[in-house]
Amino acid sequence: MLSIKNLHASVEDKQILNGINLEIAAGEVHAIMGPNGSGKSTLSQVLAGNEAFEVTEGEVTLNGDNLLNLATEQRAREGVFLAFQYPVEIPGVSNLQFLRTAVNAMRKHHGSDDMNAAEFMKLAKEVSKQVDLDPAFLKRGVNEGFSGGEKKRNEIMQALLLQPRLAILDETDSGLDIDALKVVADGVNALRAPDRAIIMITHYQRLLDHIVPDYVHVLSEGKIIKSGGPELALELEAKGYGWLGINDAAVNH
Amino acid sequence: MKSASILSSAFLQSAGQALPVALLTLRFDKASALADLVLPTRKTENWKYSARHLKLTDDMANALPLISANAANNPVGSSVNTTANNADYTVVLVNGVVQPLASNYPTLEGLSIQRFSDLNEDDAVLAAALLDKSISDQPAKSGSVNLSQLNGARFEDGLLIQLKPGTVLEQPLFVIHHTTASHSGSAYPCILVAAGSNSQLTLVEDYVSSGDCSVMVNTATEFSIADGANVTSVRLNTEGQNVQHMGTTGVRQQRSSRFQSHSVGFGGTLRRHDLHVRLEGEGAECKLNGVVVTRGSQHYDNHTTIEHVAANCNSQETYRNIAADKSHAVFNGRIHIHQDAQKSNANMSNKNLLLTSGAEIDTKPELEIYADDVLCAHGATIGQLDKQSIFYLVSRGLSPHDAKVLLTMAFINELVDQIPIEQVRTTANIGLNQFFDQAFKEV
Repeated sequence: MLSIKNLHASVEDKQILNGINLEIAAGEVHAIMGPNGSGKSTLSQVLAGNEAFEVTEGEVTLNGDNLLNLATEQRAREGVFLAFQYPVEIPGVSNLQFLRTAVNAMRKHHGSDDMNAAEFMKLAKEVSKQVDLDPAFLKRGVNEGFSGGEKKRNEIMQALLLQPRLAILDETDSGLDIDALKVVADGVNALRAPDRAIIMITHYQRLLDHIVPDYVHVLSEGKIIKSGGPELALELEAKGYGWLGINDAAVNH
Repeated sequence: MKSASILSSAFLQSAGQALPVALLTLRFDKASALADLVLPTRKTENWKYSARHLKLTDDMANALPLISANAANNPVGSSVNTTANNADYTVVLVNGVVQPLASNYPTLEGLSIQRFSDLNEDDAVLAAALLDKSISDQPAKSGSVNLSQLNGARFEDGLLIQLKPGTVLEQPLFVIHHTTASHSGSAYPCILVAAGSNSQLTLVEDYVSSGDCSVMVNTATEFSIADGANVTSVRLNTEGQNVQHMGTTGVRQQRSSRFQSHSVGFGGTLRRHDLHVRLEGEGAECKLNGVVVTRGSQHYDNHTTIEHVAANCNSQETYRNIAADKSHAVFNGRIHIHQDAQKSNANMSNKNLLLTSGAEIDTKPELEIYADDVLCAHGATIGQLDKQSIFYLVSRGLSPHDAKVLLTMAFINELVDQIPIEQVRTTANIGLNQFFDQAFKEV
């Protein structure tokens, strides 16, 4: 489904990604791990189409189509979804209005009619229950005054609403207590489907206790330096990144 | 010095309507005083940014057609969308002249809505005093005319709205100010409100226009609010690009009265609104909200003054400016705390959003405090749309255009939501969305 070949990218003239190669098939869950500054978030931003990042070399295809040629919103409509590490607060735009506009933009792209307010409200309430968010959150400003955990649950709720083909979860486990982690993990597991690929970007192994990936990749200095099965995450947990010759002061369990 | 026949003795022409003596006398006095005055220039302090946008040609001194008040139908009203289609209480003015047959205001005990020509002597004296106060509150500076002086010299008709003590009008009263511009000229609508103690009124002034000749609309609105009365003023401005709109609103508040103002405007080539509130009785409260949006080459200038004359009064002012293209918005908010106004609580917030590099916003909060035990806060910010917010919305499939419209609306939603009348909110929301839709298309 997703094919990344020799991807190089920079931000503000600083080279971050130095030749990433990755093949992800439909139905698979890939975890990308690595220390701070290894390029994990850059990879997710580049895939989602943040214009602040410049692709300097390489190619990315989604189901055979050149993803890098598509504008950010076209990627979203083709099914690319990024759950942000730091979801943006937008006071003044209600969550409900934002979500309905997004869902209808998606439906229009696929030739469906707009969902009316009542239909959408029903759907949104169901999905908010799934991630244990009080439906009252729908009426509040987008992420406005949400706690870290509520923001992350809101991201997963959006994924459940938009039903992407490729979901990229950027440190969705950061800033969560153990209960919230369980809720978010349940949401992600609900997203697993034979026609959907999931990339989970994480610094720690603990999310992988709840969502068992098919593959684990270790990113360092903008390159994948090791790939393996779920056991690789456990090995990292036990031995730390230093085991792979990576110097990372931030990892000490 | 710039002078124009707009100030000349041509203004002494008799009123088209039969005005009572007290009002005719006021009109004559104000017109005579104009002879010594000139139009503001950029050296006139409170016209610094706007004088060069003021384009009053000689032919604009002409009165616009004074549509016969007895015409069977409002000849133009049907072609203009107003917010008042289903309102119970509606008064229509065309070019400043009241249209009784197009108006509809069921009688209510304690409520009197009269056009100037129908006033008896006592009421005419009251009306003249209200308008005179409104004008004298805004004295001319450096020999240049103030806006309400022009209105005082040129009004042809107007409304006196009186509420007896304790009278509560539950429904909003819509006043539709319709300017028809079949030739160049000017119109001078005038609305005077005397709200008795503990009375309640919501007045919606809806400014609309038809035709496309250059016109000036010069409005005067005066609220005299007695003890414990509660008055809400909503000002909606959707006039065409041929209109230069200059409005003055004066407010005098007595003990424990409340006044709210909500203004939203997106029409007109030049808009200027001077809002002057005097808190004269202890415990009076005012809340002034303003939404200002400009695009193309529009120029919008809001000058507000809140005078804390008495002690223990509260004022809360929130204005938002958004400027696109090469447009220009000006906000000048003055709070004046008089020496005896101890325990005043005044809060002013002005936030501004520039949508393009060619747009300009000038903001000037002014605090003048002569009492020593007061709580005053003011803040002004200026910024652009946040790129990270745009990316967040676009990454969910919204087009960049829709994302920008949504974020821009977010900047003012809070103020639109506070407008207490649903149909005005709806009109404002639709109008603002269309406005930004266009603004972002042209970028």
